[in-house]
Amino acid sequence: MRAARLVLGAAGLLLLAAGVRLLITGSPADAPRQVAVWLAGAVVLHDLALAPLVLAAGLVVRRLPARRAVRGGLIVAGCLTLVALPPLLRPGEPRNATALPLDYGRNLVLLLAATALATAAAAAWRRARRPGPGSPGA
Amino acid sequence: MRTFIPFRGRLHDARTATAVGRWLGAGVLVCFLTGLISHGLQTPPGWLAPHLPARPVWGYRVTQGLHVATGIALVPLLLAKLWTVYPRLYVRPPVRSVRHALERASIAVLVAAALLEVALGLANIAQWYPWPFGFKRVHWALAWVLCGALLLHVAVKAPQIAAHWRRPAPGTDPDAGERRSLLLGVGAAVGAVTLVTAGQSLTPLRATTLLAPRRPDGTAQGLPVNRTAAEAGVAHVSGAAWRLQVTGPRPFHLSLAELRALPRHRARLPIACVEGWSASAWWEGVRLADLLDRAGAPEDAFVRVVSLQKRGGYRVMEMGPHYARDPLTLLALRLNGEVLSPDHGFPARIIAPNRPGVWQTKWVRLIEVLR
Repeated sequence: MRAARLVLGAAGLLLLAAGVRLLITGSPADAPRQVAVWLAGAVVLHDLALAPLVLAAGLVVRRLPARRAVRGGLIVAGCLTLVALPPLLRPGEPRNATALPLDYGRNLVLLLAATALATAAAAAWRRARRPGPGSPGA
Repeated sequence: MRTFIPFRGRLHDARTATAVGRWLGAGVLVCFLTGLISHGLQTPPGWLAPHLPARPVWGYRVTQGLHVATGIALVPLLLAKLWTVYPRLYVRPPVRSVRHALERASIAVLVAAALLEVALGLANIAQWYPWPFGFKRVHWALAWVLCGALLLHVAVKAPQIAAHWRRPAPGTDPDAGERRSLLLGVGAAVGAVTLVTAGQSLTPLRATTLLAPRRPDGTAQGLPVNRTAAEAGVAHVSGAAWRLQVTGPRPFHLSLAELRALPRHRARLPIACVEGWSASAWWEGVRLADLLDRAGAPEDAFVRVVSLQKRGGYRVMEMGPHYARDPLTLLALRLNGEVLSPDHGFPARIIAPNRPGVWQTKWVRLIEVLR
């Protein structure tokens, strides 16, 4: 175990160094600094915006009935939205008629509606399957 | 664990991190390996170029389709993993020892590289480049950083991963039901984002392609296009004036009519883009090998193909003998039963098996036998 960990860790450090070297050599001189800014930006955006938003949503959801189904639905809806963002936010016309050919806004709305329906169905199914606190045998 | 902010929620634990993390790790590895394959096929180092295989025909289609589909599936996995370990960001005291500081620094690198790498990929497939640096080089370099930081992370956390690899015995874990529910939600998200995007390369999912950047059955002769004739500055090529020039021991040139009179072959080959979309089509044209024989090219010769296009980084293409001599490699004149449209490379384009789309050179004017 110990030897395997050392080998794995050393391999990791080697790949990491290779990546940093690729980033520094052969790129325009200011590329490494720009990439560092974007790396930090990604962490800041996640740690100080996205994650707190999700945790706040979690605080609300845990007080709801059928919270597990709602949480599942929100995870699906959130991920679908993130995947739809690049085509939605990209400025300018697509490069040609075959690039970004779909109505992404409409499709996202349809998918979010379908997710809401599936969430409601999952919640109803769970409730039907599980006897309530007032029913015999509970 | 003590943190600066109290986290009372459940599932911020090692078992959940392991359960999500192993799928995330597997996904990152798939992306790294398929990325290596793509890089090797697209910009092979000199020692590799003569050995690139023309089989399987669908090789690049599958590996690159998998690369992008897996990258999209990483969105829920990565965010779920980061959510699980998020309280650790506020661990008290922030630094306990040199070892702890190093570990936290390596995790910062891992998280930053993972977030940016996935984001760059997602934006790239939508052909959106809001950053100031070159996508290809940075996505390539960050892949090594990410994979390295991941291996290091697994090495550091190996005891915890091993301890939490298996589900706790039934009845001993109060969070089991809660965790199963969370993992079900994350799994559903992976399924959902895959279902609505993978159809751009996986034909059976065509009907549910709701958020993919491409449809496999794009409008132009049934195939998507990346660089149009107008973009490449070759919108008005006259078939009557066009000549194909072939250099080699016995150089020659052909008019379009002469080229059409040569023995024709048909091949069903996919066109597969680095951006993840792909589609198969029927191509008809002259075997490249026949043209090379006519020029007296040696069997093991490399070939350079030059396009008429005025703009773009893929104007000049080279291929090794495995591709050039493959009976399926065509100088195609027709696509799905019709003369090539300008956007698909009229009057003639290369189509070869197991190659990235950018090297399926369109608007060919010159074929050079090298060495």
